[in-house]
Amino acid sequence: MKKICIGVFLCMFCLWKLSAQQTFRISGYVVDKQSETPLQDALVKVANNKYTTTNDKGYFSLDKLTTGTYQLQVILLGHKDYFIEITLRSNQTIYIALEEELSTLSEVVLHSKTHQREAKETAIVSEEINETFLEENRENSLMQTLNKIAGVSSITIGSGQSKPVIRGLGFNRVAVIQKGIKHEAQQWGSDHGLEIDQYGIDEIQIIKGPASLMYGSDAIAGVVNIRQDKIPEKNTFSGEINLLAETNNDLFGTSVGMQSRKNKWYYNGRLTYRDYADYKVPTDSIRYDNNVFELHDNNLRNTAGKEANASFGFGYISNKFKTETYISNVHAKTGFFANAHGFEVRLSDIDYDASNRDIDLPYHKLNHIKLINNSSFIFDKHILKFGLGFQNNLREEYSEPTPHGFMPKPSSTKERKFNKSTYILNVKDEFVLNHHDIVIGANTEYQNNRIGGWGFLIPEYKRFTSGIFVYDKYMVKENLFLQAGLRYDFGVVDTVSYFDWFQSEVNNENGTTSSLFIQRAKDQTSYFYNTSASLGLSYIRDKTSYKLNVGKSFRVPLANELASNGVNYHMFRYEKGNPDLDAESSYQIDAQVTYEANSINVSVTPFVNFFDNFIYLNPTSNYYETLQIYDYTQTQVFRFGGEINVNIQPWEALQVNASIEYVYGRQTSGVKKGFALPFSPPLSSFLSVTYALKDMAWFLKPQFKADFRLTAKQEDIVPPEEYTSGYNVLGVSFISEFEMFNSKNRSQLRIKVNNVFDTKYFDHTSFYRLIDVPEAGRNLSVSLTIPF
Amino acid sequence: MTISLKPMILVVLMLCFITTSCSSDDDNTDTTKPTITINYDGGFPQACEALERGQTYTFKAQVADNVALASYSLDIHHNFDHHTHDDQIGDCEFHDDKTPINPFLVLENYSISGEQQSYEIALEISIPNDVDTGDYHCEYSVIDKTGWRSQTSIDITIIE
Repeated sequence: MKKICIGVFLCMFCLWKLSAQQTFRISGYVVDKQSETPLQDALVKVANNKYTTTNDKGYFSLDKLTTGTYQLQVILLGHKDYFIEITLRSNQTIYIALEEELSTLSEVVLHSKTHQREAKETAIVSEEINETFLEENRENSLMQTLNKIAGVSSITIGSGQSKPVIRGLGFNRVAVIQKGIKHEAQQWGSDHGLEIDQYGIDEIQIIKGPASLMYGSDAIAGVVNIRQDKIPEKNTFSGEINLLAETNNDLFGTSVGMQSRKNKWYYNGRLTYRDYADYKVPTDSIRYDNNVFELHDNNLRNTAGKEANASFGFGYISNKFKTETYISNVHAKTGFFANAHGFEVRLSDIDYDASNRDIDLPYHKLNHIKLINNSSFIFDKHILKFGLGFQNNLREEYSEPTPHGFMPKPSSTKERKFNKSTYILNVKDEFVLNHHDIVIGANTEYQNNRIGGWGFLIPEYKRFTSGIFVYDKYMVKENLFLQAGLRYDFGVVDTVSYFDWFQSEVNNENGTTSSLFIQRAKDQTSYFYNTSASLGLSYIRDKTSYKLNVGKSFRVPLANELASNGVNYHMFRYEKGNPDLDAESSYQIDAQVTYEANSINVSVTPFVNFFDNFIYLNPTSNYYETLQIYDYTQTQVFRFGGEINVNIQPWEALQVNASIEYVYGRQTSGVKKGFALPFSPPLSSFLSVTYALKDMAWFLKPQFKADFRLTAKQEDIVPPEEYTSGYNVLGVSFISEFEMFNSKNRSQLRIKVNNVFDTKYFDHTSFYRLIDVPEAGRNLSVSLTIPF
Repeated sequence: MTISLKPMILVVLMLCFITTSCSSDDDNTDTTKPTITINYDGGFPQACEALERGQTYTFKAQVADNVALASYSLDIHHNFDHHTHDDQIGDCEFHDDKTPINPFLVLENYSISGEQQSYEIALEISIPNDVDTGDYHCEYSVIDKTGWRSQTSIDITIIE
């Protein structure tokens, strides 16, 4: 702090001293590079924060500049940023031609900087993932693809579904943002996967740390921010077909996307279809407790699935206004492993082995509709942004009905149904004030969750949350940024009562028994208030940049944490909510040191984290009837860890990327004091070697790649988890471009082998780990991307 | 490029070394499940055992834990639709599927006091005369003080 103060003081002193000298003027014209027409309202800015805008002739003039070197920057919505270094010794006139913006216009680009530069300036530790990475590393589901990022792991449910885990925390502690709107589904469920089409994603930002400040409740451990699509060039039409085939689960997938833009209007659309069979595991039988399930042809019985997604977006862009509307629907049907439904071993008359493609009971169906509008208005130095979102998540679970306890055999296969609608409104104003980049905003969210089916787990509820925030990035110097933010949130969760549909025998105090419909959830309203804050700085010095950030984030308890009171048939346990839970709050210190040179790139990102009231589903020593009671309790949690990432390119053709990730977590109070947290990812390292070859025959820019993951054993467990052994697994791929139909836009071919040695290993954070199901065996996949 | 392979290999080796050598430190937390078995003289019922209506039986199982036992449960429910099977060695012969009219049902749990490390469950269960005969499923489970749970299940039959 002292140093910063001295820095500020020195800066001011220099400015004061310089102001006594002779001054000069930079003036000039800004035109469109293509049409050569003058551009009005372009922001022309020199680094020490003198700025102006161009008039209707594209003219600008900046006076009273002293001798020196200036970074002149020209910013205009819809155009690429323009930077020029000017050494001023006399009055100067310059002509600037701006190129049309072809890349994203989301979030920060509006604010004039590339995401990379913005990421450097911000004190928050984040990771930018581009389309190339997504294409080259594409796995069966989005989060499996992002697994390769150090600090990011996933909870996988079979072969086609996964959900994010950032530094060991997942479920509702990671917010997934798509096009500015928070994705809202049944994230709390361990058998829930992310309902987002992984095709057609241009860029993803991953924030590895508390980010409630900008994103509200749930962003307590991190954010997966799927950015808005790129805006196509004027008067263009383009499209692509993706084809994918895999051997392990006999997958066929295709995705067709197209986009077009006239002048100010543009649109894009995408259709994706995937159909896959049961996936194969490198074992003949699954041993769970004392049970042995023989597998037919290594197929993990009934894990087939299919997915059909459609999306359409259209937008309008002008100098002062931009609006984009996006409609999407994700539909999927996936089977669950048939021999054990959750923890319960199941027998069935269904001939599961008749076909590996059919989806029998138990399975789930889900449908996620999304409607998003993002609009930005620009006036003076302000950018006013509105984000409006509606989404409906419908999830239905079907299983063979069986009686349990006092529950007679249900008459239908519909075990659970969740129908959740979420309405979101985000408003923010971004503006520049002297050396400050200020964002003031508000988020409002309303959720309405309805339930159905014979199994009760979470009650119906309505939830309203609203927060206001202010965030300031202060440029102390060109390479030193100070950031501070403050946020206040209000939340209310209103749960609806629920009674069993069957009668249970209950022992009365006088020794008699009576039959009654047991109440599982009460009508109850809980209020939450929370303050979040963040303070950080980032310092960029030549090739090295430093970041330090302290943040407090929060999470409003979920309806199931507050009010569940019933049998979770999937886990075969009795789950009990606690209406007295406080909002979870977390304090975290993040740091990052990055060194970037031509051939080497090193980044170290440690963190220390403390929860004063982590909500934890605690397995107790007591029974309800004959099921173990798990109750929601709050404990203190201390965590630390981080990632080291090294990227070396010793010569043009060879690139080596090595990373290691580690998280240590302990409950430091409560009944499980000394234990870890559930689903703790083990220490893991990842090594990726890419070798580029010369063009050969049809193969243009061919490259070989080997991915090697080495993961340590995980013995940091908490009931009911089991130790998981360490493993190493190798993947290789061949990627090449080639010309087909279109020589300007080359097609791409990717051939990939996952788990080359068909290694039998367990992923500690996989949904099926609890019933001792190993990860998928060897898989050969071939994918083609053909532009048109 | 001026960078030699040496530092790169060193870094990679270092990462590998850290990954393989680091293991969780010992916090003296209890990570051992309790055990439960009927596979001893006196364990009751044994797999595929036939129990007569109107009789009273003493259900016996041996439980143990490294720290302390906390509670146990016994669950007997009909398996007329054969939705599940036991975890004992060998398969029992099932009867045909049938619709329950008055199935026998036991759902009981008890605590084990006094921080005991081993205990023999002994529960007297009377089978009423009017319950449905047929295939049943008998499940014992035990939870230790920490919250670890183990269970064992046995296929049985109730006969006239």
